[in-house]
Amino acid sequence: MRCHPLLPIVLLLVATPGASPSEAVIEGRVTLPQRHVAPVMNKRYQIVTEGGLLSTNPPLAVVYLEGSFAKPTPTETVQMAQRDLAFVPTLLAVQVGTKVDFPNFDDTYHSIFSYSPAKRFDLGRYRSEERPVPSQRFDVPGLVVLRCDIHEHMRGLVLVVDTPYFVITDAEGRYRLAGLPAGRHILKVWLDSRSTLERPVEVRDGATLRVDFP
Amino acid sequence: MIFPAKQRTTGIAGFRTKLLLAMMLVVSAVTGLALFFAQRNVAANVRHNLEREFQAELAALHGVQQVRHAALAERCRALARKPRLHAALEDDAIDLLYPTALDELSDVMDGRDASAGDPSAFAFHATFYRFLDANGTVIPPPTANEAGALSHRDELRLSASAAPTRPQIGYLLRSSGEVDETVDEILAMPIISTETGTVIAALVLGFKPFGLTTPESGLRIRSGIWLDGRIHLPALSTPAARALSGQVEEIMAAPVGAEQGLPVLINGAPCLLFCKLLNPGSIFPPAYEVCIYPLAASLARQRLLAWQFAGAGLLLLLGGLAASHILSSRLSLPVARLAVDSEENRVQRARAETALELTHEELHRSARFSADASHQLKTPVSVLRAGLEELLACETVTAEFREEVSALIHQTYRITSVIEDLLLLSRMDAGRLQIEFRPVDIAPLIEAWLDDFSALPDQPQLTIENAIPDTLIVAGEKRYLSLIIQNLLDNALKYNRPGGQIRLTARNEADWAVVIVGNTGRPIPGPAREHIFERFHRSTAAEDIPGHGLGLNLARELARLHKGDVRLARSDEQWTEFEVRFLLANPATAVAKASP
Repeated sequence: MRCHPLLPIVLLLVATPGASPSEAVIEGRVTLPQRHVAPVMNKRYQIVTEGGLLSTNPPLAVVYLEGSFAKPTPTETVQMAQRDLAFVPTLLAVQVGTKVDFPNFDDTYHSIFSYSPAKRFDLGRYRSEERPVPSQRFDVPGLVVLRCDIHEHMRGLVLVVDTPYFVITDAEGRYRLAGLPAGRHILKVWLDSRSTLERPVEVRDGATLRVDFP
Repeated sequence: MIFPAKQRTTGIAGFRTKLLLAMMLVVSAVTGLALFFAQRNVAANVRHNLEREFQAELAALHGVQQVRHAALAERCRALARKPRLHAALEDDAIDLLYPTALDELSDVMDGRDASAGDPSAFAFHATFYRFLDANGTVIPPPTANEAGALSHRDELRLSASAAPTRPQIGYLLRSSGEVDETVDEILAMPIISTETGTVIAALVLGFKPFGLTTPESGLRIRSGIWLDGRIHLPALSTPAARALSGQVEEIMAAPVGAEQGLPVLINGAPCLLFCKLLNPGSIFPPAYEVCIYPLAASLARQRLLAWQFAGAGLLLLLGGLAASHILSSRLSLPVARLAVDSEENRVQRARAETALELTHEELHRSARFSADASHQLKTPVSVLRAGLEELLACETVTAEFREEVSALIHQTYRITSVIEDLLLLSRMDAGRLQIEFRPVDIAPLIEAWLDDFSALPDQPQLTIENAIPDTLIVAGEKRYLSLIIQNLLDNALKYNRPGGQIRLTARNEADWAVVIVGNTGRPIPGPAREHIFERFHRSTAAEDIPGHGLGLNLARELARLHKGDVRLARSDEQWTEFEVRFLLANPATAVAKASP
């Protein structure tokens, strides 16, 4: 059904002033959910739905740290391509304000659009020769479901987070966040469109914190 | 037994009338039967044709409708798969649903304004659309115009208890006024989430029902829709439609046999009514297709056919009656002739019978008479002769007188001879002479006669040549055979000329011994030849010759009694030949000696 991206905008928790922007590391492992249902329809696209849940297959998680620390405006442009009738990468995590390019590497038209509340846009039909490459800037945190109007089964997920500290786990669920500012923050793990785990953490300079989920 | 002529003709006329009546009856019956069967056959044919015709039209109509439904469903299915609609429903963007639909369904809705022009050209264009949510309630459009105008009441009627899981067909009767009502065909297509596989909504499209039954289509069938107890049939006036709806409900009560059609009267015109449930199993109220097939043309055709049959039957009947009339008079003709003939035959036969009876009686009487006469005559002749002989013996009689008496005695012998011949003939005539067939040698009989002849006192100077074999054995009775030969030889002697010749020969012819008595007698003239064998016939040229005209007749009658015959074989100036044939007693023995 409807995607419920978690809206973690106003989670201003215990702020630790004077946190150092370097040295601090959080690493650990997220126990990724086991998908028993073999995906059929969306196998190629690496997005599976189960009971309205959107997640990647194989499962991946996004680990990000939220807190009241300085958030520099992102300058780099990220790419989410369409290749072989699929979004590459399937799951993209970006900081709020990031500009994402949507180049088309297929020989066919794509028509990328999103009706998600976090970002509604419609790039219209375009081919690989389209210049400038259609792009969008994501200003609101939340999960954005990308669709193609021509290829109805194409799905892409963009998780817009209000932090520069985020990482996507590897297939085993391992992650490592480095250069974190010290202080009391909240470490969140996005598992799928409906599940986000969170845990308050205290980050100390020079220390390596190990947090496993759950 | 002889009918009067009048009665006979009335009998024949009666026969002819009866024959005519019977034939007319048969002709009428045959014609009637033939007509009956032909009429029945043709009527069945017509009914069959009619059924086939309307089934074909119905099938054509249904076929088109089916194709259209399939096409519409396919189109709706494509619409229901539109990613943007899915996105609007799934990605929490319900406010974008109708705006997106306006975009996506724009080509489907294109015909909205033009539908009044040529409806068939916009058969695939929708007049309105609505979305139902998962609970089956209508998601109201932001502005009615975008999704096609629909009153709130009608919108409510689109709602269902839940969004349908399968495509559904329904009908919506919209009344914009008191009279003007339109029917929309609605197609509800579930929108199934590609993510969950469940029905998340439904798209309901309203179409103008496709009418094939315009006059231009060439089909006689008129179709309409029964919905909510009312009939919507453009070709029908409102009161007629109301009257018909009762009958439609009747058909719906008995669903079996509805395919056959129910004969009904619409505005006084006979029609066939068909009903068919259009949306079986639908979540929408049941709607029936109501088809009316006018029977007027078919009935007119049938009536024409009936007239034609009646005409043909009348002609056939007239022809048959004429033929039977001719035939009966033809047939009665030989019968009439037969009746006349048989009448004549009967008369003739009666006459012949009477004549025969008469003849027989006369014959009998004459035979008896001749027998009686012979007996009665013999006695006085014997008395006369005795008296004469006594007179001759008297001494007082002079020599001259004696000679006279002697001649008289001779005459008595002749009389006796005649009487004996007559007696014999009468016996033969009476059929009382029976021949006992025995072998008799006739050669000695001839010899004996020749001896007697030579002993005659006043024998003429004749040369007699006897070529008869020594024995010639034939079948018969000796005295009669002797009589035959004696008569023939007497004749040959009597009618010979002085110094003439008599020649006797014999030959064999199969079972016969033929004895030929030839002489140099006077020729028998042609006309007399037929009569020489008649009784008491005497040749006019032979009046001076003694005889009484019985000899030849007697010889022939006797020969015939012996199964033989006597005939004149030759008679000319030089030679006269009589031929008598006898049955050989033993043919094998006689042959060798036949010729000397």
